[in-house]
Amino acid sequence: MSSSPAISAPAETRWVRLGNFWSDFKQSPVAVAALIVIVSVVLMAVLAPLVAPQDPYNQQTLDLFDARLEPGEVGSGGYVHWLGTDAAGRDVYSAILYGLRTSLIVGVMAGTFALVLGATVGLIAAYYGGRIEAIIMRVIDLQLSLPAILLALVLVAMLGQGLPQLVTALVAAQYAYFARTTHGAASAERRKDYIEAALSTPLPARQVLFRHLLPNALPPLIVVATVQVANSIALEATLSFLGLGLPLTQPSLGSLISNGFQFLLSGRYWISIYPGIALMLTVVAINLVGDQVRHVLNPRRSR
Amino acid sequence: MIGFLIQRILQALLVIIAMSIIVFLGVYAIGNPIDVMIDPASDQALREALIHRYGLDRPLIEQYFIFMNNMLHGDLGESFIYRLPVLSLIWSRFPATLELALTAMMIATCLGIPLGLWAGYKPDSLSARAIMAFSVLGFSVPTFWVGLLLIMMFAVELGWLPSGGRGPVTNVLGMPLSITSLEGWSYIILPAFNLALFKLGLLIRLTRAGTIEVMSSDYVRFARAQGLSESKVVGLHVLKNISIPIVTVFGLELGSTLAFAVVTETVFNWPGMGKLIIDSITVLDRPVMVAYLILVVFLFVVINLVVDLIYGQLDPRIRVKAAS
Amino acid sequence: MKQTFKLGGALVAALLLGTTLSGAASAQTLTMGLRAGPDSIDPHWSTLGSQAEALRHIFDTLVMADENLQLKPGLATSWKPIDDTTWEFKIREGVKFHDGSELTAEDVKFSIDRIPVVTGPMSMTIYTKQVESTSVADKYTLHVKTKKPAPTLPNDFIRLFVVSKSIGAEARNEQFNSGKAAIGTGPYKFVSWEPKGDLVLERFDGYWGEKQPWQKVVRKEIPNDPARMAALKSGQVDLVNYVPATDYAAMQRDKSVDTFVADSVYFLNLTPNVKETLPRKVKVDGKEIDANPLRDPKVREAMDLAIDRKTLVRVVLEGLGRPANQLMPASFFGGSKNLPERPYDLAKAKQLLADAGYPKGFEIDFHCTNNRLPGDSAVCEALSQMWARAGLKVNANALNGTVFFPAQQKGEFSLWMSGWGTLTGEASYTYGSLVHTADPTTGLGAFNKQGYSNPEVDKLLQEGSRTMDDAKRRALFEKVTEVSMNDRALIPTVQLQTVWAAKKGMMTIPARVDQETLAYEIKPKS
Repeated sequence: MSSSPAISAPAETRWVRLGNFWSDFKQSPVAVAALIVIVSVVLMAVLAPLVAPQDPYNQQTLDLFDARLEPGEVGSGGYVHWLGTDAAGRDVYSAILYGLRTSLIVGVMAGTFALVLGATVGLIAAYYGGRIEAIIMRVIDLQLSLPAILLALVLVAMLGQGLPQLVTALVAAQYAYFARTTHGAASAERRKDYIEAALSTPLPARQVLFRHLLPNALPPLIVVATVQVANSIALEATLSFLGLGLPLTQPSLGSLISNGFQFLLSGRYWISIYPGIALMLTVVAINLVGDQVRHVLNPRRSR
Repeated sequence: MIGFLIQRILQALLVIIAMSIIVFLGVYAIGNPIDVMIDPASDQALREALIHRYGLDRPLIEQYFIFMNNMLHGDLGESFIYRLPVLSLIWSRFPATLELALTAMMIATCLGIPLGLWAGYKPDSLSARAIMAFSVLGFSVPTFWVGLLLIMMFAVELGWLPSGGRGPVTNVLGMPLSITSLEGWSYIILPAFNLALFKLGLLIRLTRAGTIEVMSSDYVRFARAQGLSESKVVGLHVLKNISIPIVTVFGLELGSTLAFAVVTETVFNWPGMGKLIIDSITVLDRPVMVAYLILVVFLFVVINLVVDLIYGQLDPRIRVKAAS
Repeated sequence: MKQTFKLGGALVAALLLGTTLSGAASAQTLTMGLRAGPDSIDPHWSTLGSQAEALRHIFDTLVMADENLQLKPGLATSWKPIDDTTWEFKIREGVKFHDGSELTAEDVKFSIDRIPVVTGPMSMTIYTKQVESTSVADKYTLHVKTKKPAPTLPNDFIRLFVVSKSIGAEARNEQFNSGKAAIGTGPYKFVSWEPKGDLVLERFDGYWGEKQPWQKVVRKEIPNDPARMAALKSGQVDLVNYVPATDYAAMQRDKSVDTFVADSVYFLNLTPNVKETLPRKVKVDGKEIDANPLRDPKVREAMDLAIDRKTLVRVVLEGLGRPANQLMPASFFGGSKNLPERPYDLAKAKQLLADAGYPKGFEIDFHCTNNRLPGDSAVCEALSQMWARAGLKVNANALNGTVFFPAQQKGEFSLWMSGWGTLTGEASYTYGSLVHTADPTTGLGAFNKQGYSNPEVDKLLQEGSRTMDDAKRRALFEKVTEVSMNDRALIPTVQLQTVWAAKKGMMTIPARVDQETLAYEIKPKS
């Protein structure tokens, strides 16, 4: 990472700040490459209907006679299945593109909601302290002890299978991590002299929260966030593994991996391995970008 | 300090009550446990009789008060499935999970912190990048998937290690443990490593992030300028300053590893508590679910208490206040 | 992944120095890797299939079942009705319990009487519900009085385990699990067990049947399929049950294992809800309609015709199944040999849908279990694909059993698929529960959640349950099978097959239709 002198010029406008951010960001070629991977993955996922040779969610276009074809074989559709097909005759390549869509939506939505909720709750606890802190932190204890699978079961039983239920279960399972991390970092900062000093002046609470407490909680928070986005996707796979994920006919990347899992021992590796590689690639890229963002945003760099 | 502890215990009681209410409502929302457990050849009369026998036809609030009343008398109930006292059922699984979780945490800590320190100390080196790439694998790949790959590699292909189960146990202080023998280790190492992967990845990243941050800070520069040796700089300043997030995560992960090592225990057929709770949830064995989750909540409260106390030790600026 | 392996390898190698792995078991020990095990060592606790399977080693049943679930003598050498409501069972003489005491009719009576007192939520009373009272006629003769004529009582008694009266009325799960009360007459003695753990058994040399080749038997519970297969491949167990279809082909090619295939009693059946209104309404052109198309026999026939059963078997189950045309094997008591194979005719299916007023098909929610039986969710997905060819839009949801069964009980599904096994080997068990009109007063139709009601079927079933004459009863049940199957009260899809795999050349495993893995029927190859 760069050891260039810190940029300390006061930002005039948002655009300048963003420009600075970008010029800092691009100093790591690895991060730029990772960003390119993310952008192309997102593009491919968004454009899946145009890029994929098959619509894997449409039962009409699937053919059981194409089931479990090896990579490179030609199916009844007349095109080559470069990554083979799964047990329902789905083209694995197309399924990965469509599955990426679902998984990214699930991962990013769950990650973002959990981050916002967790960080807010953690900051509030650290800022106000006292009874509010006690209540919030015990609710978090409660939340951490509640297994995601139980929550997922309740939601599936009450509302049926679907994306919103899944995201809710994942957020509920994960926000506590953010809250605990934010709280830990922010309350350390909260007790420092300068915050005590700031609090004794008529500064608005908002300013203390967002100027001082949040930036200091940010570095560990971003680490946890990039981990948790990846973990949401993996957790979704685990819930699918337990039969609590998304409907069968609309597999996500996670469900592709867990459905293909049973074929691993029998030598039909492609059903599980290729979606697994796609997942790993995406997650590694997200993390590399996250690393660089954290590096650039680090408040101590500019002090 | 005493006041602080008492307050925490009172809070813990409230949390436990909240948890038991949540489980009762949750099971109620999913459905009638009898419908999951009943034999398909049963007739309606038998179904009604069973629902009555287990008191599931009473109003939920009444069922809850019966449970609370029993709990106050020290009786957490009997499992629907096994008709064994839930506490002894859970306790019989505890040593297996404890040794698995501790071994996993040990692997994660002993590897994670040094690797993270190194990766943060020399962030641009090739080895640091390799460490980081490895750490991503830890949490991006579903545990069950890695578990099976490990089994395929070390048990099926190489034949070095058993594919699952727990090794022979010996009694240590009344607890049957398998890590006392080398053969026991041959059973525990794969599942423990599988379980450690996620934590390992997380610890490497947190340690590295903290290290980079501290290394660029003023007081490290001062320390260096004062002529302190590198090992002292790292040992004193860096480790101390990265300890808070690490302790937080360690606490969280220890709790969740103890409580929900479900997937690893399933793939490696490890006879621990995680398997018990997952089986209980899938058959809606409510007494086991309630008792187990109450114990887990208690565990988390205790761990978080310890973590908060450690914060105070690590950073004198965080004073333990009676209210927090 | 490579890095994972390298690191893991180094770690393992370091720790492994000097470690000795438990080697292959000796020929006298049989170690089995099984999907499920008992919930208790009390044989009267639960009707769970894996419970019965495990406890058959320790306890014997009054009547036994052969590989095709047809009756054979067990602890009773013979049985006959002495009047319309009394059965006489002759108890085998000279049978010893594990504690050395002798079996008498008193022990059998004790066993029947204790069931309602000690049984759990999977209640064993379903096998004794026909019993009014029991009386000991002499040391080796038991009379069982039934509430009504009970022609199927001997079938129910293939699950009647006999325990020793000496354990006393107070013995419960704890006493059985600790081994204190686990005293049976079976070929193996109890050594140790804990919930979800290994069940260890030792040969009982005083067994009344043939001498057992295995000195020690260990039943390991390994519920996860890939983990169980890995345990066999790594040599930790000698045999595994429930080899998934996905691994079967590879296992057949594998030179180090033998495979054994058997037809099973488990069938995957579709159930169309034929009530006035559906809990989840169907959509035509994206709009919900109030009518229930499944009430129209043409629609049910169309859905049936659109199912390509041969492809289901060949592709989805990878050959491990048979196309089904009724809810249990035709060879079972009351099964019909007159029913034709179900045809696959997509053109006719489309025509029938058009005739019924749905030329463009409709959209319907379809629910099934996930991992309850091998291949259930895969068949579910394949069916929705097949119906799509006929112009229907079928939203397949594979649910965890925890969610599926309560919802099914509450009648929340419009169309569903679930597995059913005829464990007693005769028709009243299955058809009485699934196709008789739901009637809480008689206890019939308990699982008829689809609202099917045909007075003719009801009459035949009730008459059958009273008829003591085997030939007449068989004819009545055959008729029930034929009428209800032609009505498509349920639509059978496939009969599952089950596979065991064992170390090459070590043993032969009998092909049991109830899928039980019984050490005493497994013969070593010398």
